[in-house]
Amino acid sequence: MTLIDRLWKDAPLATRNEITPKLGFVLTVLLALVWLIPFLWMGVATLRPPSDGINLMAELMPSLTPTLDNIRDAWEIGDFPRYTLNTTIICAGILLVQFVTITLAGFAFARLAFAGKTLIFYLFLMQLMLVPVLLIVPNLTLVAQLGLYDTLTGVMMPFFASAFGTFLIRQAFEAIPTELEDAALIDGAGLFQRIRHIYVPLSMPSFSAFAIISVTSHWNDFLWPLMVINSPDKRPLTVGLSVFTATAEGTQAWGTIAAGTLMVIAPLLITFLIFQKRFISSFVTSGIK
Amino acid sequence: MLFSRRLMLGLAMVSALAVPAMAEGPTEIDLFFPVPVDGKLARDMGTMIKEFNETHSAIKATAVYTGSYDDTLIKTRAAIKAGKPPAAVIMSANFLLDMQIENELTNLDALIKADGTTKEQFLGQFFPALQGNAVINRSVYGVPFHNSTPLLYINADKAKEAGLDPNKPPQTWAELTDWAKKLTKRDGDKVTQWGIAIPCAYDYCGWMMETLTMSNGGRYYNEEFGGEVYYDTPSMLGALTWWNDLVYKHKVHAPGATPGPAVSTSFISGNAAMMMLSTGSLTYVRDNAKFNYRVAFIPRNVRNAVPIGGASLIVPAGLEADKQKAAWTLIKWMTSPEKSGWWSRATGYFAPNMAAYKTPEMLDFLNKNPDAKTAVEQLDVAKPWFATYKTVPVRKNLEDEVMLVLNGKKQPKEALIAAQKAADETLKPYNAETSLKLP
Repeated sequence: MTLIDRLWKDAPLATRNEITPKLGFVLTVLLALVWLIPFLWMGVATLRPPSDGINLMAELMPSLTPTLDNIRDAWEIGDFPRYTLNTTIICAGILLVQFVTITLAGFAFARLAFAGKTLIFYLFLMQLMLVPVLLIVPNLTLVAQLGLYDTLTGVMMPFFASAFGTFLIRQAFEAIPTELEDAALIDGAGLFQRIRHIYVPLSMPSFSAFAIISVTSHWNDFLWPLMVINSPDKRPLTVGLSVFTATAEGTQAWGTIAAGTLMVIAPLLITFLIFQKRFISSFVTSGIK
Repeated sequence: MLFSRRLMLGLAMVSALAVPAMAEGPTEIDLFFPVPVDGKLARDMGTMIKEFNETHSAIKATAVYTGSYDDTLIKTRAAIKAGKPPAAVIMSANFLLDMQIENELTNLDALIKADGTTKEQFLGQFFPALQGNAVINRSVYGVPFHNSTPLLYINADKAKEAGLDPNKPPQTWAELTDWAKKLTKRDGDKVTQWGIAIPCAYDYCGWMMETLTMSNGGRYYNEEFGGEVYYDTPSMLGALTWWNDLVYKHKVHAPGATPGPAVSTSFISGNAAMMMLSTGSLTYVRDNAKFNYRVAFIPRNVRNAVPIGGASLIVPAGLEADKQKAAWTLIKWMTSPEKSGWWSRATGYFAPNMAAYKTPEMLDFLNKNPDAKTAVEQLDVAKPWFATYKTVPVRKNLEDEVMLVLNGKKQPKEALIAAQKAADETLKPYNAETSLKLP
């Protein structure tokens, strides 16, 4: 129990001697372990020598003779540094433009009065109900007409405006007391200054929550980049990795796949571990501290 | 203002990325290719295209990897609609009819004629069984590139152990059922070794259903017309009932729908003593099996018959003349006896070009690996792969139901009635334009 007690020191005083929260905590730990199993397997499979044969592939026990062969194999099949750079450019590019568009749109929906505001807002939300696959052909046609076929910009373009992001930021802005804005107005702040110095800083948790969702979803996007990109040197990680996972009639080298998958998720995983505290709190907190 | 400076920076970055490369000199063409076997072949494909570019200075081809067979169809279609068709695509052989119906393919007759050969001479290079999927309304729309037939793989060591002779493989469903029973090992209620594994996942499942239905005397679809499939028939009912019996009556086949890679994995690991799988997996089995294995024809119930599988090279519609010509040069080069033989030895698919089997490298290879002959011999009883209007959705109408049966949630009869109903619905628009459009 000492471990639990040690993890327990942050718990509110009032509940420290109760049993129910402890049960909940134990359950959470169990769930976390279940969630960890695939990651553990991936690590073990990556280091397993091919000579272990297919029978041991499903084992969670690490091999006694770990090897880096699989990582080297995966590294040779795909140009991973290049793919990682492309994916990073795509995710960062989308996010930067999204921040601008959702801030302005969110502000308009939260604070400005204009004709048909509610109708336009609901139309905006309807985007959330469309299956992305439905838009592949019209989006690709438009991207091609703009001369952006087979460019990274073409991959980013359809995501520059986000209905979900606009909704999230509108909710955050609406929660901010108008008195703060009025005070800035009296000090002679312009519209953009008010957004920059009052609304944005106070909605930071919502922005970082959105950033996480945006980056993870575009990091993992496969079908759309596959449609737009032809040149091998412009492939993002997902398309690069699928070269050795999407097989129809053949079979799979699990060690290589595990190594490749590890490389794809490693940057995200590391980022998450570094900023863990901040991420969790941004999902939990909202409004004004 | 920090904010706008960042914005400018972002815009500058974006515009810098948007500069497309300008083409000068050789005709630049893209070849879309799926990777139907393991990823190292993506490198082999790269090697092949590099060699092509070195020997053809007027053309610069780029191999573009495009995911699975189904993804490749989606990407090709989207590219055609966006006005950026690739010059050539390695396309699943059973998608050609659907694409031709949608006017997405270039008729290759004129290109063949321009070479001074006749259609008969051109097609005569390839095995007759492959022509059905490449020729539509007597015009050539595809060139066979790598092809397969389903095979029965047998773990010979386990067969001997069970008192069976691996050199006399089962030839009928009755014999196969008997083998599977003898090869299943049980520990109380728990099965420690399955007698047989047959794959069922999207794409594979439909192909296996066609295989079993054909061995049962049936036809999966109307070979002459793209608006009809025959799911609710005695021959398919017999096929699905037998598959269902292997799982739930004889308990010699694991319950549930198993994807192809899981089937080959369980065969290699000794967890399944026999499997039905594409000849495209032969190289993998040869490289990984730690035991003696045999490959044999798919056993029959009524007759010996199997569908072909694999892919053909196609030229999408809407290309400029110079790209079309360059694509044709590439296609002829890739399907030549030498190249298609080389690709066959790398993958396990058989080479569609009959002359490939007369090259010294191939004769030498077959001497060392006699198991590679089985698929070629089976071509005598092979027939085209099902191809209809909207091949993929019509195929999924059946696959969804077969998966329910294998998962023990439905009985074969009701599943096939439901599959037929769904497929008829999917085919309706085409029939309204053709067979039901009456004067």
